Amino acid sequence: MELEETPKQHYSDKEKSEIFNGEFMPHIHSMYNFGYRLTLDRDDAKDLVQDTYLKAYRFIESFQKGTNAKAWLFRILKNSFINDYRKKSKEPNKVDYQEVETYYNSEDVDRQITPDLRVESLKDMIGDEISNALNSLDVDFRTVIILCDLEGFKYEEMAKILDIPIGTVRSRLHRARNLLKEKLSEYAKSMGYNKA
Amino acid sequence: MNNMNPFVKPELSKPTCMEMLQTILDDEATDDQKKYFKAHMDQCMPCYKSYDLDMSIKQLLQSKCCGGDAPQDLVEKIKVQMAQTKFI
Repeated sequence: MELEETPKQHYSDKEKSEIFNGEFMPHIHSMYNFGYRLTLDRDDAKDLVQDTYLKAYRFIESFQKGTNAKAWLFRILKNSFINDYRKKSKEPNKVDYQEVETYYNSEDVDRQITPDLRVESLKDMIGDEISNALNSLDVDFRTVIILCDLEGFKYEEMAKILDIPIGTVRSRLHRARNLLKEKLSEYAKSMGYNKA
Repeated sequence: MNNMNPFVKPELSKPTCMEMLQTILDDEATDDQKKYFKAHMDQCMPCYKSYDLDMSIKQLLQSKCCGGDAPQDLVEKIKVQMAQTKFI
């Protein structure tokens, strides 16, 4: 199983337990949130996180003590999601990502698409609007927003977690932000904010 | 002037406002770049407005989408499972 390209480590049972409890478990809340934002289902999120921790425990010797445990765990979770959950995903109209990326790479999307979205209208979004807007994005766009804005990962870490080049991380983030703004703009309109 | 802009990379042309803004938003900017962009915003209203909006969205995401704690039964399950698992 390919989790990280570091040479295999050798740990005693005590060390394994220390790593698991000291380096892996502190990320449980972020992991659960990531799982939920990917699956959009709390029970699936639990299964996904549990499965991820089991894999992390089994392959603990592929992890180098003291390195970036959070990125390592996120990568396992993301791979588990793709391999096990995405196939049976409840999301309707599964989209061919390549198609989406090609479409959103077109000039059209780079224009300033949300001139009518204003900071004032965001202040009234005190309910689930932002969460719904995020959840409505295609999972690949949703993921980069979660990793960057919610979890604070750097481009380099995101590239490793997602197995994509840094340039793709950057362009995907740019497009994800535009799509999110477009969605928020729709909410703002429905809340009665007129165009500027 | 280009030489003084810390966003300029030797092999690339002068970055656009949008590119500078993204580097800031994605938290990939160096201290020099942050300082430069702050000064730039004082003279560039579109950048100022975009920055304000994008940062507000980012803050809204952080306050509304972080989800709180994982369920306690999940934490317990993982601990039990760990105790039962034999290492390969």
